[in-house]
Amino acid sequence: MPSRNVGTAYLAQAAELAGNPGQLAAYNSQGHCVVLAGPGSGKTKTLVLKLARILAEDVEAPRGVACITYSQECARELARRIENLGLQQAPNLFIGTVHGFCLRHLLMPYGRLAGLPISFPLSVATQRVSDRLLKQTGDALFGQNHPYKVIDLGRHRRSVLNRNSVAWRSEEELAAWAEAYEAALRDEGLIDYDDMVVFGQRLIAEHDWVLPLVQAKFPVLAVDEYQDLGVALHRIVKRLAFDGGVRLFAVGDADQSIYGFTGADGALLMELAARRDIEPVQLQLNYRSGAGIVTASEMALGEARGYQASDPARQTTIEFVLRPGGMADQAAHAVAQIIPAALASKPGRTLGDIAILYKDYRAGDIVAEAVATGGLDHIRVDTAAPYRKVALTSWVEDCAAWCAGGWRVGRPQLRGLLDRYRAFHRASLDDSQAKREEQELTALLWELRADQQPAREFVASLRNGVVDHLLAAELALADQKEQLDRMTAALAEGGALASLDITSLGGRDGSPDHLNLLTLHSAKGCEYDVVIMVGLDLGNLPWRNETPEKLRESRRLFYVGLTRARDEVHMLYSGFVDGRYGPMRFGRSPFLDELEARMRAAGI
Amino acid sequence: MRVSRVRLINFANFSDVDVETGESIVIVGENKVGKSNFIRGLQLILDPGLSERDRQLGLEHFWDGLGEDKVGATIEVSVDLTDFTNDPRLMAHLNDCVIDPGPPMVARLTYRFQPKAGLGRAPESLKDYEYVIFGGNDPEMRIGGALRRMLPIDVQVALRDAEKDLASWRNSPLRPLIEDLAASLDDDAREEIQNQVDQAQRELAGHEEVVATAERISERLIAIAGGQHAVPVSLGLAPTRVDALLRSLRLLIDNGVRGVGDASLGTANLIFLALKSLELDRLVSEGERDHTFFVVEEPEAHLHPHVQRLVYRYFLGTRAEDEDEAPPLTTILTTHSPHIASVTPIRSIVLLRHNATDGKTVAVSTANTPFTQRDEDDLQRYIDVTRGEILFSRGVILVEGDAERFIIPAFADALGIPFDILGITVCSVGGTNFTPYVKLLGPKGLNIPHVILTDRDPVNGKPPLAHRRLINLLNEVDDEYGYDDLDIDEVLKYAAEFGYFVNESTLESDLFAAGMTEAMKSVIEQELPLRQVTRDALQEWVDDPDQVDEDRLLKLIERIGKGRFAQALAPSVSEDVCPAYIRSALEHIRDAVA
Repeated sequence: MPSRNVGTAYLAQAAELAGNPGQLAAYNSQGHCVVLAGPGSGKTKTLVLKLARILAEDVEAPRGVACITYSQECARELARRIENLGLQQAPNLFIGTVHGFCLRHLLMPYGRLAGLPISFPLSVATQRVSDRLLKQTGDALFGQNHPYKVIDLGRHRRSVLNRNSVAWRSEEELAAWAEAYEAALRDEGLIDYDDMVVFGQRLIAEHDWVLPLVQAKFPVLAVDEYQDLGVALHRIVKRLAFDGGVRLFAVGDADQSIYGFTGADGALLMELAARRDIEPVQLQLNYRSGAGIVTASEMALGEARGYQASDPARQTTIEFVLRPGGMADQAAHAVAQIIPAALASKPGRTLGDIAILYKDYRAGDIVAEAVATGGLDHIRVDTAAPYRKVALTSWVEDCAAWCAGGWRVGRPQLRGLLDRYRAFHRASLDDSQAKREEQELTALLWELRADQQPAREFVASLRNGVVDHLLAAELALADQKEQLDRMTAALAEGGALASLDITSLGGRDGSPDHLNLLTLHSAKGCEYDVVIMVGLDLGNLPWRNETPEKLRESRRLFYVGLTRARDEVHMLYSGFVDGRYGPMRFGRSPFLDELEARMRAAGI
Repeated sequence: MRVSRVRLINFANFSDVDVETGESIVIVGENKVGKSNFIRGLQLILDPGLSERDRQLGLEHFWDGLGEDKVGATIEVSVDLTDFTNDPRLMAHLNDCVIDPGPPMVARLTYRFQPKAGLGRAPESLKDYEYVIFGGNDPEMRIGGALRRMLPIDVQVALRDAEKDLASWRNSPLRPLIEDLAASLDDDAREEIQNQVDQAQRELAGHEEVVATAERISERLIAIAGGQHAVPVSLGLAPTRVDALLRSLRLLIDNGVRGVGDASLGTANLIFLALKSLELDRLVSEGERDHTFFVVEEPEAHLHPHVQRLVYRYFLGTRAEDEDEAPPLTTILTTHSPHIASVTPIRSIVLLRHNATDGKTVAVSTANTPFTQRDEDDLQRYIDVTRGEILFSRGVILVEGDAERFIIPAFADALGIPFDILGITVCSVGGTNFTPYVKLLGPKGLNIPHVILTDRDPVNGKPPLAHRRLINLLNEVDDEYGYDDLDIDEVLKYAAEFGYFVNESTLESDLFAAGMTEAMKSVIEQELPLRQVTRDALQEWVDDPDQVDEDRLLKLIERIGKGRFAQALAPSVSEDVCPAYIRSALEHIRDAVA
């Protein structure tokens, strides 16, 4: 019999969609479908159920579904939700980032044949090597302390795909730098993350024979967070869907497009949705936020979207708070006043239900200090975090969760951990070898079970037992190893996470005892009872004199922050920002002025 | 999907075989040449039933010609697949295996038995060896059991004990059919059967004599063990549950009089193949497989030659005709029987030959020989009526007609060139169209050494017919040079290098000129009632061969029939009267096969 790995759990959950016409339409869609999903509208639930249905009803192994999402974290969240539907064992379901998809499912199988100008077997540059080459080539071209930024280089590479175009040459210095940097990478036989997508796009664009192969393997392609994925993926998607006969299921919200600086563009999603051969579906019911917050966020966005709160009766709090003492004062106020009040106002509410959101890691440092002074445990997600989340570190965290007691209730499931471990291997293993490695890993995890243990020791044992061996064999994981090394360093004596124990390592997400500190960007996709936004001053959000385009993106960032909240939003400002020569008093963020005026006008 | 190419390196009889294959594959070769090993090689890649231990080869699996150097060598078997792009499921299976985007797209699967990676030294024994099975050109792209289960090779070995297989329930190909039958019965049908059986059971068991016999047994039991220990017995049919009953169904032959056990080996074999073939249909239609490579080794065993040919024709794809799409099945057969080789579609033949010099088996095929459709039809008919002898030849002499077919072996005898020992066949093409045969035997085909004997056929005032004939052949076999503008003498010179030999006029005239005058005269006189004038003319030509009237001589011979004439003339052949072109051809082919 064809092995159907899909249970029928999804059918029970799908019955709940009955009251929501948008979700139901998406669930029942047969052709290309774009789901425009407002904040809190159950987009992930819709996507997960649709994936389950497709796997159960529309495709049969060896054919499968690829689900591409913005980040490793999003992929992990999707995988977790899908695991809860009993689908974790579907080997014909790919969930991963666009990079993972391009690497494993485009470049590795077809890159050689297509004669791409990169060396095989593929080897991915570590962050360190990549940084070194960027600096070397930049300095060689423009001298030290040159004004050009790596972030702009990345945007240019990602957003201008045709190297022969005027657009590529129009930013002459960036073009020259990109070419020098890429040449240096190739000299060392390496590709970097952007290369994966750029070459993936080239492969799909230039080689017709690839299309039927991809279509055979993945007759359905799902894309989550479409607004955050750049033009390269957009081209891949269009080519596969409209030339290659791959069925598309895309989900996103252009209003939450906040990665313009990386080359992402919310307009691409709208372009898709406007096509005649696509069924557009709108999800307008907000299950997350109370009515007041739903209304206020639409005012902050300045666009009428017609979103409705699913529970109009729920009470919400929206506060504008002036703290004249600057960022530190704002943070201290949050810790001393807002948080205790919030904890007290609803029975059962924990620190994990509260988040402080800020613009960047510098603000994060100030907030973290205030939080530590206040004696609160916290989890911090921003670029100053001790390590970046990649598939490998996420897997280590989940192994910790299993060993720390998750094994008792099967959360996470061992099978899922084994499958993910298997997926780290560049090549598909043959059965006996895979079985051996799985037995080895299972034995190790079994042995490492302990409810209390320093995370340092757990990670060291896991590395000694299997991971370091894996890393030695799989050079393509070099960049992920770098993050694991940073994790290890942070856990070491004197490191930032030295006191972490195995339970906390495993519960680095969603722990009830830890206050959440995040940048606005990292908060995307998250939700909290209480959201405290700090630093809402002109000169910070937005900066002064932003271009209209930038200003729109800053507004969307503000909108994303607001829409994270279920019950309460606290917006803190001081009326000035710290400049190089002392405070600069530009006043508070104009977004606050607008919002307050509109709320007043509406009588709220 | 079909297999388009097979490579075997250092495996069993094969040093380095690389053969292209057609729609289906018929492996033709003499005993011990390596037909089963060829299949075994495919099994290393595709058979889901082989264990890891089976794939860990032994020294005996290395090509023997490696001698002392077996440890250190690498065994590699690869199979190329093509024509799968119309089935997305196959494309999904083979996604990581593509080596040529085409069209036609080609995927490759490779088995490799090699010194372990990262050994860091030369291997000392097979303990230092490992096998990998991978797709495409990347040894890291490992192929697992999932693919083998969905695209399996299914081998019916030669000389199996069909009768025994049919008798044991576990292995019987009848079993899945019965299980299907059991599953398809609804409750009403089951109840009805159950009632009928119960009733028959009651009637039988209630029969006076049956009851009496049971009582006799019971009484004796009591006598032996006493009333306390003896269990009461009765006689009846067992089993009586429907499922158990169905399982006990057996195939019967001769209107249900006899079981398969009583059938001849051949019949059992046939029944077995029929059941197997039904089972394959079922596996595919129920989605348990996406494709089957179905191998039957020597299905001719125990079968009458006529039935052999029918069985082969059946398995070689006459089945697809009544369906729109070909079934997801690649048929692979082996045979050492010319009877069977002769009904094989010419494109499907894979010919295995032992090369004694290098101690290895080589493989050739005509899968991609540039035949036209007419060539193919001509050859197919020829091979059929000659029962495939050309396929088993080690050297071939191509001639125009029956006359040469009788006379050439006689000259070979006279020259001490033993055709049977050397494996040389004389093949009459029935005319002068040698092209298809040259393609068949040439390097892009079966690669069998061959020579051509053809008549010069002079024409008054124009170049002889042999001129154009040879130019066409030379252009066919050698595309490096253009032969069109050469005159007859130059053409003859090049033709001889390729083994194409031409006489002065026609066979019979040349024999006459070579000195067979007397013998020819007596054959004609023996075979034909002749008027005196003709007898006199004959005598004159014998006395002075320069005076011969070739047209008249040929007319006489044609009245007898050229074949019959040559047959009658053959006993008179001797070395002295061998025309030069025949001698050249015979020596050429002798040297070529040696």
